[in-house]
Amino acid sequence: MTAGNIVFLFILIVAVGFFSLNVQRLVSYLQIGHPDARTGHPFTRLRNVFEIGIAQKKIFRDPVAGPMHALIFWGFMVLTAGTLEILIAGVYPAFSFEALLPKTIYTVYSASQDMFAVVVLAAVSFALYRRMVLHPRRLDGDDLEHTDALIILSMIAGLMITLLLSNAFMLAAFPQAMGPEKVVSHQLGSAFAHMMDPRTALARYHIFWWAHALLILAFLNYLPYSKHLHVITSLINVYFSNTSGPGVKGAMRSMDLEADVESFGASDVEQLSWKNLLDGYSCTECGRCTAACPANITGKLLSPRKIVINTRQRLMEKAPVMTGDRMDFMRPALSHGVESYEAATSDEVLGHRLLDSYITEEELWACTSCRACVVECPVSIDQLDIINEMRRNLVLTESRFPAELQPVFESLERNGSPWAFSAADRAGWTEGLDIPTMAQMRERGEKPDILFWVGCMGSFDDRAKKITVAFAHILRACGINFAILGQEEACHGDPARRMGNEYLYQILAKNTIETLDRYEVTTIVTHCPHCFHQMGNELPQFGGNYEVIHHSTYIERLLQDARVPLRSAEGQKLTVAYHDSCYLGRYNDVYDAPRQAMKRALPVIELIEAPRTKDRGLCCGAGGGRMFMEENTGKRINAERTEELLATGAAALAVACPFCMTMLTDGVKANGSEVPVYDISEIVAGQLQA
Amino acid sequence: MKIAVCMKRTPDSESRFKIAASSTAIDETGLKFDMDDFAGYAVEAALQLNEKAGGGETVVYAVGPDNVQETLRKAMSMGVDRAVHLKADAVPVDGIAVAKALAAELKTGGYDLILFGKHAFDSSAGVVGTATAELLGLPCITAASQLSVDGGTGSARRELEGAAEILSFPLPAVVTIDEGVARPRYPSLKGIMAAKKKPMETKPAQLGSARVTIQKMELPPERPAGRIIGEGSAAVPELVKLLQNEAKVL
Ligand code: SF4
Ligand code: SF4
Repeated sequence: MTAGNIVFLFILIVAVGFFSLNVQRLVSYLQIGHPDARTGHPFTRLRNVFEIGIAQKKIFRDPVAGPMHALIFWGFMVLTAGTLEILIAGVYPAFSFEALLPKTIYTVYSASQDMFAVVVLAAVSFALYRRMVLHPRRLDGDDLEHTDALIILSMIAGLMITLLLSNAFMLAAFPQAMGPEKVVSHQLGSAFAHMMDPRTALARYHIFWWAHALLILAFLNYLPYSKHLHVITSLINVYFSNTSGPGVKGAMRSMDLEADVESFGASDVEQLSWKNLLDGYSCTECGRCTAACPANITGKLLSPRKIVINTRQRLMEKAPVMTGDRMDFMRPALSHGVESYEAATSDEVLGHRLLDSYITEEELWACTSCRACVVECPVSIDQLDIINEMRRNLVLTESRFPAELQPVFESLERNGSPWAFSAADRAGWTEGLDIPTMAQMRERGEKPDILFWVGCMGSFDDRAKKITVAFAHILRACGINFAILGQEEACHGDPARRMGNEYLYQILAKNTIETLDRYEVTTIVTHCPHCFHQMGNELPQFGGNYEVIHHSTYIERLLQDARVPLRSAEGQKLTVAYHDSCYLGRYNDVYDAPRQAMKRALPVIELIEAPRTKDRGLCCGAGGGRMFMEENTGKRINAERTEELLATGAAALAVACPFCMTMLTDGVKANGSEVPVYDISEIVAGQLQA
Repeated sequence: MKIAVCMKRTPDSESRFKIAASSTAIDETGLKFDMDDFAGYAVEAALQLNEKAGGGETVVYAVGPDNVQETLRKAMSMGVDRAVHLKADAVPVDGIAVAKALAAELKTGGYDLILFGKHAFDSSAGVVGTATAELLGLPCITAASQLSVDGGTGSARRELEGAAEILSFPLPAVVTIDEGVARPRYPSLKGIMAAKKKPMETKPAQLGSARVTIQKMELPPERPAGRIIGEGSAAVPELVKLLQNEAKVL
C-alpha cells in the first residue's frame, strides 16, 4: 500500500460514511408515513423491476428521450461493475476482476467498460443538448429547477471522460496494461503515446484516475441532494409500487372508518403512506405525467408532477422537525422551489401543511382520475393515490368540496343515484320491453344466467337509456337468460369514493353487496365502465365477489361464438373513431374488445385512431366526479378531446361508456358538428336481423 | 347563546308516494326519511349564529318514534351539541298537540332562541312553531330568510311577494326559518364520529290531545296525457281552435 492508497482509503471511508448517513436519514423520514404492506407477491414485483426498471419499458414510451435514457441507464448498470473494481483497486492496487473471472467473460466485461463509456458520453451529450437547446415542453413549468439536472449530466459526462482518459494515458505509458478489447482507449492511448513520453503519460494517468475516483464519490454524495436520487430509489420504488400490479390496478385503498383518529385522509405528509413518500424521492421531474394530464393540458392548475414534488418538498421540510433531525444541511437541495420555507422555525414548519400550504383544493378537485399520469410515470409513481388521499381529507375531515357536490352526496344517500331521480323510475326504460327483474324471476322460481346491471346513467339519462335498450336488444336477440334489479338497483357508491366520500361509499357498497348476495348473483354484465371497475375490482374489498363483465367484452364474446343474428353489412360503410374510456382502458386494459365487437358486427367498418389512443387516450373529462362539477378554468376537456376525434375525419364517434357519451355528445354539439356519437352496442344492435 | 332547534323527520321529496291501505296515511315502505329540508336550514342558522358568537349551546328536539334519533344524530354530526328525543308512537297530525309537548320541554330550557323550519315538507301546516311560541308566550317571527342577533335583540328578514321586510324583536323568541339562510352543511366523517359520543336524552312526549285527525287521503287526479296536434305553423289554427273551444282559455 502506498501513501496514495491510504489517503484514498480515508477519503473512501469518509465519502461512504457521509452517504450512508444521508441514506439513513432519508429512510428515517419515510418512517413518519403510515404503514402500508408492500412485500407480498415478490415475483410480480420482481417482474416489474425487470420490465419497467431494467428493460425501461415505460421509459421507451418517449421515442426520443426513451432510448437516450435507456442507454445512460444500461451504461450505468454496466459501468457500476467497473466502478467497484476501480474503488477497490484504489485501496489494493493489485486488485482486478481479471483474477476472478474466466478469460472470455473478463474480456467481454473489459470491452463493455470501454464501449459503454463512449455510449453514455454520447447519450449524455444529447441529453445536455436537448435540455439546453431543444427545451422540450414537458421539462418546463412547476417552477422546475434546471441547474440540478445540468450538474448531474455534467458529472456523468465528466465521469466518462476521466474514465476514458485515465485508461488511455495508462495505455500510452504501458500499451500492454490492458487487453486489445478496449478499442477506444487503445486508439486514444496510441495517439497520446506519440505526443508524450511514458513518464508524462503515467503522471496524467494518475491525475485522471484520481479525478475519476473523486468524481464517483462526489456523485454518490450529491445524489441525496438531487432529483437524481432516483438513481438510487427508482428500482426500489418500482419494486414496491402497485401501479402495474400486484393487486388490482387503480383500485382505491379501503379505509378503516371506525378508527379513532382526529383526521381522515391526508392533509400532511405523515398521513400519507411511506410509499407515497418514497414516490417523492423517486420523482425525476421528467414531466411525462403532467404532459399527459387532461386537466393540465386544458389549462387547469393541477399538475401531477407538482403533487409529487410538493410531497417531497413538504417531507423535507417537516420530517427533520418530526424526527428531531435538525441537520439542516440536508434540506435545501431537495426542497428547492420553496425558498420561503427553508428558513422557517419549527413552529412555522408545523404551521404549514401539505394541503393549502403546498397543494390547493382547486388542484385536487381538477383531477378526473384518468390514470394517465400513473401509466406514464417511468418509475411507477402513484400520483393519483396522493390526490385521492387528500380529497378524502377534504371531504371526511373538513367537509370542504365544490358546492355542486353536496346535492350529489345527498342524492346518493337518499335516492341511491347521484341525480335526484326517484328509485321508482329506475326501470322506466323497460316500458314495453318486458324485461324481468330478479324479484320477478325469483317469484317464478327461476334464476337468470346473468344480471344486467344498468347503472345510474343507463337508468336515468335519456341518451344513456338508449344504450341500455340497445344492449337489452342484443341480449334478447342472442337468447340470453338475463334479468335486471329494477327498483332494487342502487348506486354502488363509486362516484362518492372517487370524490373522497369514503363513508358514503362504504354504506352504498355494502348495500349493493347485500342486494346482490340476496339474489345469489354470480355474473354481472354492465355497459358502464365505472360500474364494471367498481363492482369487479373494488367490491371484493368488502366481500362482494362476482364475475363482472363489461358489455364490450360480453358482446365481443357473443359475436365470436356467432350467437348474434346479424344482417348483412353489404352496401354499408362507416368510418369510426373510437374513444377509449379510462376505466375500461387504463384501469382494466380493455382496448380490443370494443374495437373487435364493432368490426365483427359490421365488417365494412373502418376504424380510425386518434393520435392519443388506447393507454394514451385522452380522458373525456367526466371521471373522478368531474361529471358533477363545474369546469370554469381553461378549455373544456371534452372540447379538447372531441376536437381531436373529429379531426380524424371519421363519420362517427364511438364510445363504450355512458359518461363519455355525454361528454362527447356535448363536445360535438359545442363544435357545431353533426357527427353522431354511438355506443358500440348501438352499432352492433343496428346490425341485428329485424 | 343557547339555541334550540325543533325538527321533523320527513320522507324525501323525490319519492313516489302511495297511500297506505288504511287510506289515512302514506305507505312508508321504500321511502327514505331524512331531516326535513327547512329544519336543515334552521340547524344551519343556529350553528352559524353560535359560531359567530364564538360559543354557546345548540340543542335539537324532535317528537316521534325511535327512528327520529337517526335524524337527531345527523343534526349532531353537523355540529349541534346535544339532542332531546321526545318519544311518541307517532307524530300526531294536530300540530298543537306536538307544540304542547315541545313547549312543556322548552319552557325550562332557558333558551335565547327557539328555531323551527317554516313548515315541514310532508304536512306543510306550519303550525308547530307558531303554536309553541304562543304556548311559551314568546314573540314569533315566521319564515325568516335571514337572522342575526345583537345583544338581546334579534333581527330577521322575511321575503314577501316582490318585497322584503326587516323585523326586530327582543330575545328570547321563536323564529321559523325559510330557505335563504346558508345551505345546510354536509356532515364530515369527523362530525359523524363525534356525534356518536354526544348526549341524546330520551323522554316521553307530553303530547296534548290530538283534536285533528286525518279522515282520508287521496292522490291528486292523474293528469291526462298531452296531445300532439302537429308541428310548425301548420298546427297553429287547430291549436287556437282547441284552446278556444275545448280548454276555453282564449
Ligand atoms: S389522474 Fe388524470 S387528471 Fe388526475 S392528475 Fe393524473 S393525469 Fe391528471
Ligand atoms: S411523477 Fe413520474 S412521470 Fe411525473 S415527473 Fe415524476 S417521475 Fe416523471
